[in-house]
Amino acid sequence: MSQAPTILLVEDDPLIRRFVRAALEGDGCRVAEAGTVQQGLIDAGTRKPDLIMLDLGLPDADGLRFVRDLRTWSSMPVLVLSARTAEEDKIDALDAGADDYLTKPFSVGELLARVRAMLRRSRQGSGIESPDLRFGRVHVDFVRRQVQRDDTPVHLTPIEYRLLCVLLAHAGKVMTHRQLLKEVWGPAYADSAHYLRIYVGHLRHKLEDDPAQPRHFITEVGVGYRFISGA
Amino acid sequence: MLPVAPEKPSSSTRLTLSCLRRHALSALACGTTNLLALLLQDWLEPANAVMLFLLTVVVIAAKLGRGPAVMASFLSVGLFDFFHVPPRFSFAVSDIQYVLTFAVMLTVALTIGHLANGMRQRADEAQRAARRAQALHALAHQLAGALTPVQVLQHLRAFMRDQLGADVHLWQPGQAHDLVLLQDESGHEDAAVSSPAPPPQPSPSLTLLARSMAQHGTHPRAHHVEGDPDLRDGTPTHHMLLPLTGSTRNRGVLMVSLSASAAAHPQGAQANLRHHTSMLDAVSALTATALERLHFVDVAHQTELAVRTERLRNTILSALSHDIRTPLTALVGMAETLSLLHPPLSPQAQDMAEALRGQALRLHEMVSQLLDMARLQAGTQGPGSHPPLRLAWQPIEEVIGASIQLLGAALARHRVVVDLPTDLPLVRLDAVLMERVFGNLLDNAAKYAPPETEVRITLAAVGDHLQVRVHNDGSGFPADRLQDVFALFARGTTESHVPGMGLGLAICKAIVEAHSGRIEAHNPAGGGAEVCMHLPLGTPPTIEPEQP
Repeated sequence: MSQAPTILLVEDDPLIRRFVRAALEGDGCRVAEAGTVQQGLIDAGTRKPDLIMLDLGLPDADGLRFVRDLRTWSSMPVLVLSARTAEEDKIDALDAGADDYLTKPFSVGELLARVRAMLRRSRQGSGIESPDLRFGRVHVDFVRRQVQRDDTPVHLTPIEYRLLCVLLAHAGKVMTHRQLLKEVWGPAYADSAHYLRIYVGHLRHKLEDDPAQPRHFITEVGVGYRFISGA
Repeated sequence: MLPVAPEKPSSSTRLTLSCLRRHALSALACGTTNLLALLLQDWLEPANAVMLFLLTVVVIAAKLGRGPAVMASFLSVGLFDFFHVPPRFSFAVSDIQYVLTFAVMLTVALTIGHLANGMRQRADEAQRAARRAQALHALAHQLAGALTPVQVLQHLRAFMRDQLGADVHLWQPGQAHDLVLLQDESGHEDAAVSSPAPPPQPSPSLTLLARSMAQHGTHPRAHHVEGDPDLRDGTPTHHMLLPLTGSTRNRGVLMVSLSASAAAHPQGAQANLRHHTSMLDAVSALTATALERLHFVDVAHQTELAVRTERLRNTILSALSHDIRTPLTALVGMAETLSLLHPPLSPQAQDMAEALRGQALRLHEMVSQLLDMARLQAGTQGPGSHPPLRLAWQPIEEVIGASIQLLGAALARHRVVVDLPTDLPLVRLDAVLMERVFGNLLDNAAKYAPPETEVRITLAAVGDHLQVRVHNDGSGFPADRLQDVFALFARGTTESHVPGMGLGLAICKAIVEAHSGRIEAHNPAGGGAEVCMHLPLGTPPTIEPEQP
């Protein structure tokens, strides 16, 4: 790491700010704080942080407005903090361009893991660069468009393969139903979430050890899916 | 409010004079005319004296009516003959031509008298109709301003008393498809509509008749009941029952009662009421409109109240949820930060920091359950209404997988087995809520079973239902309280060492029932405890096969 990454924390509760700052600084990050959407947008412009942590329930305006505003001029990663019951807020924030979310109350370990993963992804840039990829007992060869499990070829239909590629390309990041449907099926299918659920099921049955307890194709209930390459 | 001119029922001013006096007046008028003609006879031709007599007959017919006019006609002819036709002061006639004069004079007098009287009657009738229309107008105005059904009744009573001298009763549809007689308790105190003692209760047979009229709905015709004795003085009373037909449904029954003693019409009460059928129809239409308006005002008010209550509840819930979660997040985070400090805390302090975090998370779990339950109960006041669900077709294995994932460490000491047929259809669920059901069931199953045992979820399509069974190898539910485990704050063992509030299964039941499913607990013969759910299977949307 050439330089300590800067993280902008937009959160109105001082106690949460205090422990998040302590945890991030303990992990070698520099932390800037903002208590309102307006201040957060100004700081995002002047300090050019590497990552923004955004609470959705801010006093002066909707966190969603922050994401939309930010995305008009920047693609810096945004991690949203929100309550468990507010699925729609999360989906809206993710669809508007946020990269990931954490549900309150969150553990410090999880927070740091997410931040590290997001920083790594943003440094690498999106897209798959290596010609092949391994996760669990699965090997994906992007050049020959072949998938093997325990060295046995697995037959995937074109849609299944496309879905797999989209999920792998955004590994670690949560993808909303709408985003996946648009990328794999096209905009006309944006409301046909049951297609997505069935094809994710197919992928699990073909690639997971226990499809009912998946380790790679993780369901974010009510929000979307996340691919984790896993240990 | 317009002043209501009270109308004397079917009587006119000229009839207030007694018959004898009217005839005497008529004779007096004829005499006076005769005297005038005598005084002027030097200047007056007999033909013009005839004119004076005819004028008198016209005036009498217009003012005093038919009988006096006929009498005046004959009297005039007689007086003319006696005083003005030669030989005078004798009924003998010298010139035979005068017979023709008498005949024409009599005919003309009778005809004019008849016409003038008819004109007078029509004018009277028109005046009465105008007054009635004005009173109806005033009633419509009053009913439009009425705020309660009782006020409607008071206005009706005042109107009917003034117009017909009749009593009014009003039945309205009650809560449970029956008819309720509207009682006017505030009648005496209301100065705007001064009313005497309210009329007596209608007899049971009338109530039954009103009920059958209301039940046969749109039956538009009025019913007459003749000769029912009045409970006060025993005079036969005629009742007319009018259905109040609203635009959407029957709004009740209006009963107008007229006792024979109060009837002004010469042919009695029934004829009197029948005579005013069109007015009574108008009154019943006005009443129906007024009651319907009050009904819809009431409905709108109730709806608005419900919406406002619901909105308030949601605002409070989300504010509460945010306000409680924020300090809990800080508490959990700070406790965890303590244990990550450099240099590390002493082992004792480290344990305390861990315990602090654990307790804060437990508190969060309990608060979440309470808020979940409050949210699930919101909007379920009426029977059959459910909390809003975000239903979507999905494979149930996905929901189960997600809840296993979410529980994570809580299930670490147990083996979780999902027994899943491969051909299970999609189910229409609110995934977020259903994840909570599985989360609670699995959490319970793990809490009440010894470590290293198996927690098994078995799924099967049974008929038009999806059967989901969650089984553990614990000691089972208390056999005598299998029905109660889904009740709020029910716990398997009271104040046991196992943490929890007894909300988990109650939340499961609320969610499953919101999905039109059912959930039950039992202890299978093979040991352990089992919760069994049945979720309805609908017709899943078709999936277009992939093009090769």
